[in-house]
Amino acid sequence: MRRLAFRPLLGLWLIVAAALPATAATRSYALEAAGSSVAFSVAFGADTITGTMPVLRSDLKIDFANVAASRVAVDLDVTGAQASFPFASQAMKGPRVLDAAEFPQISFTSTAITRDGDTARIEGNLTVRGVTRPTVLTARLYRPAGSSPQDLDQLTVILDGALARSDFGATGWSDMVGDTVHLTITAQIRATT
Amino acid sequence: MRWRNGPDRFGLITRMLHWAMGLGIIGMLGFGTVLSRMQPSLGNIWLYGLHKSVGLCLLALVLARLAWHRISPPPASLTEGIAPWQVAAGRWAHRLLYALMLAVPLAGWIGSAATGIDVQVFGLTLPNPFPVSEAWDKGGFLAHAVLTKLLMAVVALHVAGALHRALWHRDGTLRRMLRA
Repeated sequence: MRRLAFRPLLGLWLIVAAALPATAATRSYALEAAGSSVAFSVAFGADTITGTMPVLRSDLKIDFANVAASRVAVDLDVTGAQASFPFASQAMKGPRVLDAAEFPQISFTSTAITRDGDTARIEGNLTVRGVTRPTVLTARLYRPAGSSPQDLDQLTVILDGALARSDFGATGWSDMVGDTVHLTITAQIRATT
Repeated sequence: MRWRNGPDRFGLITRMLHWAMGLGIIGMLGFGTVLSRMQPSLGNIWLYGLHKSVGLCLLALVLARLAWHRISPPPASLTEGIAPWQVAAGRWAHRLLYALMLAVPLAGWIGSAATGIDVQVFGLTLPNPFPVSEAWDKGGFLAHAVLTKLLMAVVALHVAGALHRALWHRDGTLRRMLRA
């Protein structure tokens, strides 16, 4: 994962952005693949397996005045997933876990976005292995350090969440590998409208 | 030529193959049992790779052994003074041993390959001739588990038979496998 060229705590919180003049309305953003990643981690005995999965497509619309009107849709490329050691990558993409040959994509589509203190709570449907389950992600939005508070052209979204892989039938090696998969999605986004 | 089998003696190649595989198989039966009960971690996951590497070497050795026995047939069994049912039991135990020496590593290979994980022999990735599918994964490993139990029983029978010949009949069956 590329190191963030941002100083997140000095950045702009979603709620600060929400306090901006309503002229901002809904803006569409495109994901910058180079600075973005979906990182995951899962227990492996006493150890942890970490890895990343590339983002295939994203559709991001952020309404700074009315967070609830925002929406997020993301597709991930399962075939390009990498884990911290080669066998784990292959095991994860194999038929016992994500079955990349049969289900090459993971998708997330938001259904409801609400402000929750300093963060946004994104409820949505996550589809893994062709199984769709409601999932909640927590979002934090930052602007680059040094940029003006009114400049919302370039932002970084950090999403945190977790899923139980057994919910999606991705049960392979459940005796070795934990059920809870933690996700940290770093998305560098640039306004297109 | 002492490398080759004679009409009533085992040549050096057959004897070496017998003992190398005997040690390898008994070792791997124990190793596999330990693996199946082990709590895996990043520190010990290499043991699975070692088990696959050794197992595939044993598969190569049994193929070499079968080929060698076409080139240089092993001597007939010593049957003088042996009850016919014991002769038949010995013959069937040998057939079963060969079948299992092929089937056990093959089932393990099929199961491993079906998970989508590369199968390697000491770091060399093998081409995968088998399907990557959950059904083949389950079937392969189930067969591997069941057939290894059968192999344990047949190996025990084989050792018991050899010791019975060596200690009771003293007919040279074990001795001729040890030295020419």
